[in-house]
Amino acid sequence: MEINIGLADVIRISPMIAIFIASLLPITTKVLSGNKEPNNLVTLIQGIAGLIIGLVLLTVVGGSGELAFSKSLVFDSVTLWMGSLAILSATGAIIMMYENYATNGRQFAELIFLALNSVVGMLILVSAMDLLTLFVGLELMSLALYLMIGMSHEEKYSKEAAFKYFLLGSFASAIFLYGTAFVFGTTGSTNLITFMQEASSLVQSNRLFLFGISFVILGFCFKVSIAPFHAWTPDVYQGAPTPHTAFMATAVKVVSFAAFLRVIATKSLVGSEGLFDVLQWLAVITMIVGNVGAIVQTNLKRVLAYSSISNSGYILIGVITAGVSDAGFFGASSVIFYLFSYCLMTLGSFAIVSILEKSENHMVTLDNLKGLASRRPVYAFCFSLFLLSLAGMPPSIGFFGKFYLFNAAVGEGLIWLAVWGVINTVISVYYYLKPIVYMYMSDGDAEIAGHNLNATTVTMIVSAVFITVLGVMSGPIFSAVEKSFIN
Amino acid sequence: MLLSTVILLPLVFAVFIAFWPQQRTLRHLALGFSLIEFFISLMILNQFDPGSARLQLVEKFTWIERFGIQYFVGIDGISLWLVLLTTFITPIIILGSWKSIDSKVKGFHACLFLLQTAMIGTFLAMDAILFYVFWELSLIPMYFMVGIWGGARRIYATIKFFIFTMAGSVLMLVAIIYMMYLTQQATGVMSSSLLEFYKVKIPFVAGTFMNQQTLLFFAFALAFAIKVPIWPVHTWLPDAHVEAPTPGSVILAGVMLKMGTYCFLRWVIPLFPDATEYWAWLFLSLGVIGIIYGALVAMIQPDIKKLVAYSSVSHMGYIILGLFVLNQYGITGGIYQMLNHGVSTGALFLLIGMIYERTHSREISKYGGLAGVLPIFTIFFFIITLSSIAVPLTNGFIGEYLILLGTFKAAPVYAYFAVTGVVLGAAYMLWMFKRVFFGEKGELVKDEHHPLHDLNLREIVVMAPLLVLVFWMGLFPNHFLNWTKSSVDHLVNNKNKYYLEIHETKVAKGYEYGN
Repeated sequence: MEINIGLADVIRISPMIAIFIASLLPITTKVLSGNKEPNNLVTLIQGIAGLIIGLVLLTVVGGSGELAFSKSLVFDSVTLWMGSLAILSATGAIIMMYENYATNGRQFAELIFLALNSVVGMLILVSAMDLLTLFVGLELMSLALYLMIGMSHEEKYSKEAAFKYFLLGSFASAIFLYGTAFVFGTTGSTNLITFMQEASSLVQSNRLFLFGISFVILGFCFKVSIAPFHAWTPDVYQGAPTPHTAFMATAVKVVSFAAFLRVIATKSLVGSEGLFDVLQWLAVITMIVGNVGAIVQTNLKRVLAYSSISNSGYILIGVITAGVSDAGFFGASSVIFYLFSYCLMTLGSFAIVSILEKSENHMVTLDNLKGLASRRPVYAFCFSLFLLSLAGMPPSIGFFGKFYLFNAAVGEGLIWLAVWGVINTVISVYYYLKPIVYMYMSDGDAEIAGHNLNATTVTMIVSAVFITVLGVMSGPIFSAVEKSFIN
Repeated sequence: MLLSTVILLPLVFAVFIAFWPQQRTLRHLALGFSLIEFFISLMILNQFDPGSARLQLVEKFTWIERFGIQYFVGIDGISLWLVLLTTFITPIIILGSWKSIDSKVKGFHACLFLLQTAMIGTFLAMDAILFYVFWELSLIPMYFMVGIWGGARRIYATIKFFIFTMAGSVLMLVAIIYMMYLTQQATGVMSSSLLEFYKVKIPFVAGTFMNQQTLLFFAFALAFAIKVPIWPVHTWLPDAHVEAPTPGSVILAGVMLKMGTYCFLRWVIPLFPDATEYWAWLFLSLGVIGIIYGALVAMIQPDIKKLVAYSSVSHMGYIILGLFVLNQYGITGGIYQMLNHGVSTGALFLLIGMIYERTHSREISKYGGLAGVLPIFTIFFFIITLSSIAVPLTNGFIGEYLILLGTFKAAPVYAYFAVTGVVLGAAYMLWMFKRVFFGEKGELVKDEHHPLHDLNLREIVVMAPLLVLVFWMGLFPNHFLNWTKSSVDHLVNNKNKYYLEIHETKVAKGYEYGN
């Protein structure tokens, strides 16, 4: 096998290189200055600068549809949109890390190093066309995350969460690799492009290939917390420092779904009725488990964790639609738009949780929200906006995200999935309204944490503005996403 | 631009009020704004051509090109008076809540204006997605209104209200999306315009449930039935009414319930004519059950507000009956009854709010002999009671009479049962009136430490326009019905192939119907 790596390849991965170099800056500074923690703000700015340079480079090199590194990486619309979304979410998350009790202060340089490397892993993941490259991206992203969670200043839950996440994540990776081995065994290649054409017939004719591709899909189901592989999510989301939870719930989920889309785009679902049915049921079960699970939670982070699970269910509807449709780009665009709206809402919600945390050991419960509206109207208003948007109330962006998603499903004849989706929306309204009840309709002495929270507040307000403005103006964005596929 | 102004101006007012720095002048500002809105909405009458059944004052812009979604608003005889009812009742609510809302005044008025935008938008939207946006948007301010300023069980009531209404409307969203695809199949272009929807012939098979038109019909009808509310999905209403603050109850009874009945007329009946005709028996029966059930349950309520809430269930049953008999009398009566119910039930809730402010109780058994203590209040209450039980010369009579007339013509069996509602309605209202206003003085009335004061000037001003309307609408129904006649005739004559055209040219001003 001949491997040619030219300058063109290197230019295409320039976003990853840029972010990787930026990640080295703070940690090198720390080592050179005798292991003394550099100024956190400087570290943060280096991190943000690296991410923004990466984003700019990605918009330049991504989206062309070209391949790199012997077809193992591709830079198409999915890479461009999902990669940008992941970088932006990560930016929001590291801004929150700077001001959260559990993550700021000592070891902040190492944290930014890990976070940026995780983003590098994400970019590999969104652009990977080869199952093994995909695995490399997945592991780079996840290994950095395990460490980040374990590094939390919070003593009790974060270690448990890190270990749980590590164990189950490794388990998922193992399943994924196992599947990859079978795929390689039957097709002689791990590259999606090589078996893209015959995948739909192979799943019918070759049991081992079906077995392999199912295991690959199951591996993703773990990563994006599709029920019944979701059990780790609430615990890990609760135990991890809030900014990391935001990071996992947004950026990690976006890129995992991007890779999921790539595997699904091989049209394996078209060939295998069984796999298609199973995935549909998984979507339904996930929505129900997420929404019903959230109702009984009192810890705000767990509520949002279950909400994140149910959202995975909604997104899976879009992924399935993209997988069975002849014009899969419509489904894929709806997934991308939904993820975009979901990231805004989730990032904003976790920013609120971070703002409410009064120490690194403080677990924010619903009771901590009582009476927030009279004391801090802006925060309460923004949080209500996030929750109503998550519940899919028009004219917020959350409604349009769901509208495009269900529209794609109905267009593909998957009406029953759309019906399950909207029924679950109603269930979810109950727990999304509950924090609003606590904030506006109960008396209490809720207060935000006392220290400087400017950067997190800005993140929150930016999300809130986007949710309202982009909701009404969602049409052009969606068309832009969809057009980028056709070109 | 007129309709957009009417829709969006309250939104601007809401934002303005949210940032208004002075607490003291807030109510005056809100009252002024709502009056401005009312006068602007009166200009619609000036530009509206009552002789035309077409869609008038149309504004149309592309909103989301990909799916053919437009910002498309227009008005015809069916929606005309409901819009005016909304703008008319808002200043009354603001003046009526002058004293009763004493906390978070700013938020309350911002909610009220947001709600106004949502309601007027629902009445005027001619694009399914735009309509859905307004329809759902109306839940949020109402949710806050009941939840923040409501009574003891307000949180239960408001969540129940929200989830019930939302549960109905989400299936409608799927139905709308499906309709968009059907339109694409029929015309080649995806569109969510209601006028395009009307052109689609949806396959219908009588006798089975699993066919396109029937399923779509029920997806839409469920959403509206919950909003109306039709028995047996009415249970959120008494809770919401009892727990809502007075202005919340007024707007709920006065306008929000009409969103449901209006949408039956705008969406369900013209879009799914075969299914409507086939399943009319179901809705007629539910309407009749609602009339009788509501009246019987109202009779035994110990709480005045709950009594009026159940009377709403009964009255809304009449409207459903009128709409589903599908003839001129019934539909005209239904539309008229929507306005009547808005006026008389709104007025009842205002009056109950006034007495509640004085005694902080709504229990009928604690009253008695009010007539001697509060003469003006008693007179007002009596007039509204007569209107509510449809005594001739009041507005209620015209509506109920037309509905019963239409029902007798189309389906007499239902009318036999429905007329009992007239008697029962008189029974529970008059019995309540007797217990509250006559007889021994109740413990609240003879409490010498807290003497009761009769209505003050503000309260009289609040009630006066409603009382005028009761008689105006009762004596001169054609002043109102002439504006809706063309649209109703058009709907009834073309109910199997309904279409709506856009009124292109404006008629010269000064045109008056009948001249």
